Amino acid sequence: MSVPAPTSQPRTAKASRTARAVPPAVLLVTAAAAGGVSAAAPEPARGWTLAVAGASWLCVSCAVLVTSRLSRRARRTADQQAAQIGTLNAQLAQQHAATLHVANVALPAVAKQLRDGAGADEALANAASVAEPELRRITHTFATLVQDAVRQAAAVRSEHHEVQRETARAAAELEQLTQRTLPAAIARLREGASADVVLAELEWPSLPLLRTPAELFIREMAHSERRAAAAQAASAKALSRVQAKAVSMLADLREMQERHGEEVFGDLLRLDHSTSQLGLMTDRLALLMGGRSSRAWNKPIVMESILRGAVGRISAYQRVRMHCSTQAAISGYAAEGVMHLLAELMDNAANFSPPIDEVHVYVEERTAGIVVTIEDSGLKMADAAMRHAEKAVAGQATDLASLQGTRLGLAVVGRLAAKYGVSVNFRPSSRGGTGVVILLPPQLLAQQREPAPATTERRAEAVIPTPGPAPAMESDLLGTDYPDHPDIPWVTEAEPVPARPASATPNGLPVRAPGRTMAEAELERQQRKAADDTPARDESRPGARGARDAGAQFGAFHRGRRAGAGGPSGETESEPPAPE
Amino acid sequence: MRRPVDTGDPDRLYTVTGGRSRADDPFDLVTLVVSECEPTAGMQSEHVRILELCRHPTAVVEISAELKLPITVVRILLGDLLATSRITARHPRAAQSFASLPETALLKEVLDGLRNL
Repeated sequence: MSVPAPTSQPRTAKASRTARAVPPAVLLVTAAAAGGVSAAAPEPARGWTLAVAGASWLCVSCAVLVTSRLSRRARRTADQQAAQIGTLNAQLAQQHAATLHVANVALPAVAKQLRDGAGADEALANAASVAEPELRRITHTFATLVQDAVRQAAAVRSEHHEVQRETARAAAELEQLTQRTLPAAIARLREGASADVVLAELEWPSLPLLRTPAELFIREMAHSERRAAAAQAASAKALSRVQAKAVSMLADLREMQERHGEEVFGDLLRLDHSTSQLGLMTDRLALLMGGRSSRAWNKPIVMESILRGAVGRISAYQRVRMHCSTQAAISGYAAEGVMHLLAELMDNAANFSPPIDEVHVYVEERTAGIVVTIEDSGLKMADAAMRHAEKAVAGQATDLASLQGTRLGLAVVGRLAAKYGVSVNFRPSSRGGTGVVILLPPQLLAQQREPAPATTERRAEAVIPTPGPAPAMESDLLGTDYPDHPDIPWVTEAEPVPARPASATPNGLPVRAPGRTMAEAELERQQRKAADDTPARDESRPGARGARDAGAQFGAFHRGRRAGAGGPSGETESEPPAPE
Repeated sequence: MRRPVDTGDPDRLYTVTGGRSRADDPFDLVTLVVSECEPTAGMQSEHVRILELCRHPTAVVEISAELKLPITVVRILLGDLLATSRITARHPRAAQSFASLPETALLKEVLDGLRNL
């Protein structure tokens, strides 16, 4: 920006002034010298000297004049050139300044405005005006380029953002799908919802890349669930028919055992045993298939019967020794389940012990419930097998997928144990084999009632006065129209007796067995009727009772005789007098 | 399909007899049985009931009806008890004197005669 030209101006002026003063001085000096020379010249030569001096002065003055003229011109030229240089310098400086301005101010401003989103023309207009056309062109070109670049960058950035957003959304959807939707869908499918329902209910990813495979998966899953459910339902249905058949066969067999004599009894028992085993197998399958047990009991079953019912269903029942002294009974609703559970475990114990060794079953009554211990003397279970058995009977793996080939028993045990809250534990037995400890919780036990002896006791004392069995029989046989139907009064009266004193829990709350109300109402009605009809009958009761008990005795005799009519003993034929 | 609820007993007869199907003991339907001791703990419930029932002489057929068990099963159970001398069995006098009774034909004739009176 500095302009150095003006600093040389005074010196040039002084020099030109000096240069302008030199020719007159030279002319004066030379004129003086010529005068001096002509004055000093000898007279004779004065004219000649004067002429020579005058001529030489003229020459000098000409030369001086020419020189000064020339130098003046040269000086003028130089001045002009210096001025031009100055102008040029100034122009250069101006241009430099403009360039600097463009570089430092205008372009950054334009770039900034463009970056801020202004258009190229607007940015150029807003930016400090650039005078020079070249610079303007440059600026313009720059602005255009920058604008393009900015636009491109913006486009790329937005594209990038979009891609990023999409990726994030896809990731979120994928996470939602795997963490929540699919588990929920699978749960719903397991509950039995159809694929369409599940697809409609839940929120599925909008990305086709995720949605399509998810939908495909759900449909396939629903299909296999449906197939599994249909197969299960079909087998449960079919098995229920087999179960019903087996139960009716058992009833028939029992009836035949009553009817037929000793010669076929063994065969019937064998058939009975086979049918019972068949029942266990079908029940096992039915339970695994989600079906029911083949039987259901409507009354409490004492432990002894439970054990027998269980042991009767396994093939090696004769090897099982039972040690049961408890009178406790299992409630009807749980009896079949407990029986099945014990049967499976006894079957296991019998199958995994040598065929000559016995399996011992102990029953103890504890405050925690009834403890049944099944001990065999077979091989000790390997740790892995024990763990597997523990897991199976824990009832956690209720999925059919976890079943192993023919080992279905323990899975059934697991289900039953979970259903009734029974705990089943395996441990090494001190007899050398494996022991299974089964704890039946107290809630499975039936309320303890006064056991049956009440009736027999009473019967017994009623029988005492009769002198001897045989005459009593005869007299009653002839004189009494003995009852053989259960609905005649002496039976209906005898039956509620065991139930009467029983009905209180340990806490003193009354307990009523199902169906008791009707029976009691009926009984009350009968009693009232009897009291209304013959008030005097009460006095004659003891005697009447004796007669009734004798009647009961004969009723039993008669029933037994009829039941055993096919029996082997020949004497029975002639026993009763055939009334004509 | 809801099945009817079972009202019977779950114990099959072969579990009651321990698999035996034949009685070797000389019981017939009218043999009178008397228990010789009180039931003890740990006995089979049928044995207990027989011993309770037979505190007074009771016929086999009556036991069978009371226990609701076939005669053969009762005879096997009685055989067990007899083998351990917990019961005694005796044939009723009627059965013993059976041989000396008049013929059925004769009785019939007498009956006819009485009717004709």
